[in-house]
Amino acid sequence: MTASTTYRQLKANPYRPWPARITSIVDLTEKEKLIEMRLIDEAAREAFSFDAGQFVEVSLFGVGEAPISISSAPSKQGFIELCVRRAGDVTSALHQKQCGDIIGIRGPFGRGFPFPEMKGHDVLLVAGGLGIAPLKSLINHIHDDRHDFGNVTILYGAKNPSEILFRQQFDMWKHREDFELIMTVDQPDETWDDEVGLVTKLFDRIDVDPARTYGAICGPPVMYRYVIDEMRKKEMDADRIYVSFERRMKCGIGKCGHCGVGHQYACIDGPVFNYWEAMNLQEAI
Amino acid sequence: MFFRVMDKARIADLVRGLSTEYEVIGPVAKGERFTFSVIEDPADLRLDFDTTILPPKKFFFPPEERMMRFRVADNEVVDDEAFASPRVLFGLHPCDINALLLMDNVFLGEFEDPYYKAYRDATLLVGVSCSPRETCFCNAWDTDEVHWGFDIFLTDLGDRYFVSVRSVMGAELLDRHVETSPITAEDTAEFQAVVREFKRAFPAKLDTSQLPLLLDAKFDDPVWDELGERCLSCGACSMVCPTCYCFDVRDDLDPDQRSGERKRVWDSCQFSEFSAVAHGQTFRESRASRVKYRYYHKQWGYLSKFERVLCVGCGRCTHACLADISPREVVTALVEGSEAR
Repeated sequence: MTASTTYRQLKANPYRPWPARITSIVDLTEKEKLIEMRLIDEAAREAFSFDAGQFVEVSLFGVGEAPISISSAPSKQGFIELCVRRAGDVTSALHQKQCGDIIGIRGPFGRGFPFPEMKGHDVLLVAGGLGIAPLKSLINHIHDDRHDFGNVTILYGAKNPSEILFRQQFDMWKHREDFELIMTVDQPDETWDDEVGLVTKLFDRIDVDPARTYGAICGPPVMYRYVIDEMRKKEMDADRIYVSFERRMKCGIGKCGHCGVGHQYACIDGPVFNYWEAMNLQEAI
Repeated sequence: MFFRVMDKARIADLVRGLSTEYEVIGPVAKGERFTFSVIEDPADLRLDFDTTILPPKKFFFPPEERMMRFRVADNEVVDDEAFASPRVLFGLHPCDINALLLMDNVFLGEFEDPYYKAYRDATLLVGVSCSPRETCFCNAWDTDEVHWGFDIFLTDLGDRYFVSVRSVMGAELLDRHVETSPITAEDTAEFQAVVREFKRAFPAKLDTSQLPLLLDAKFDDPVWDELGERCLSCGACSMVCPTCYCFDVRDDLDPDQRSGERKRVWDSCQFSEFSAVAHGQTFRESRASRVKYRYYHKQWGYLSKFERVLCVGCGRCTHACLADISPREVVTALVEGSEAR
């Protein structure tokens, strides 16, 4: 970042990426890395606050931009952690970056999970695959204010044991009394001694008090309908079940049109919607 | 608002006068059709034009536009200045002025777009009255009239113009460059007669009863499959639309690969990859779903945010469509049922 770039300049143009320095890279699996970064401009850093479920646009000049949801807790001021799967041009280029490299960040954008409303309730989180990334932000946030919540249950399904993300953290959580975590895989290997099958199967193992439970779901598009069905069978209210949608949020600010879902835009109206809203979005689920 | 009358022969004085201070852009003939171009000679201005091939959005949201220059090594922006020189768009029909007001909601609302804003701030608008052609349906959305958003509006009274002046700048320029006179009661009466005749000249008014609701209630109507069969996904409807604002963003590297430009280009929801996410899934694979989405967004998505439909009834998409799909046909099929077409 040049000395001439001012916070005013950054603020004046919502398309202008804010320079950020990569502070840590952790290889999670063959396809996913956990990349932590810090905005370089001090004023930008102080201004950057977000809700769990919001996303940023990662900007690599010469390659392009990609929307990625933030996986760190909002309480970790000044740092932004992204769980990046190598899938397209931008994420592939991002995987080539080293600690200390400068990348661009725009955001945070969109509407996240309704954390204040969730307080005082039980929370049931259901993740499939990479969907655990935005939910991790919420889980960490709940962890920070743990005494404000009732039972917190996490159901997490992955394709196979080697694709399970944040395993260390999960092992830690598993030993804690304050989170109930149940994992399942589609394709077990010899190391696996836990559940096998789809994440919906895990609903048999949990008790839900529908009057006091919020749901949060994130995973591949095909998963939503089945998980919502399970939550509805447990008599949870439609407007207390929250889902996060992956769409092509290109500009992040409700202009370019690529993330249209039903009559709304995922980038400014979502990506987190409650199920009642989602039911009213054509072709969403 | 105040009003003047201006002799038609004076229009050249006005254009010449404006040209001393601004770049003047207006409708000129291009083959048998018309296009908005820079007016070098006032005689080229064709205020009797029916419509232009492309709408004036190209002057505020160009088909390809530089957003910023960048340096690759440190991922830094070198220049993102938005620049526009002063100009007058001369000869916009009410539909096109209303279209700009609809675009303003998107680009000048939350997360103000600095590029669009620079062009908008640098441009004065002079409107002119029109007569409806068979493809016009602006009266269905009340965009056949315009009440704000222009600096000057000229209503054709045959030998003279009834001049509505909306802005201080419009008043000053009129005063500075052309001779006009105060309106009389006869001028106003004639203005009203012209407006009445204009309203009568439209083809049958499009029935839009409960359209937003019907888009949901008839979401699975076979009409969309029929339209999907015919649509060629060429995106021409979006390109000629004065209110389609979707864009794609591209990074173009200089030959030395060290620096380059981030650009935006017009895009269309009719293209199959429009909604594609990183691992290749697209959310509207069928043509039917894409044709439907364009209407769904214009008549309901945009409406749900801004309380207006995202269409001004200019008829350009009807002319551009190679498969003869027109909003009149689509809306009628939905409101009155397929058999009514």
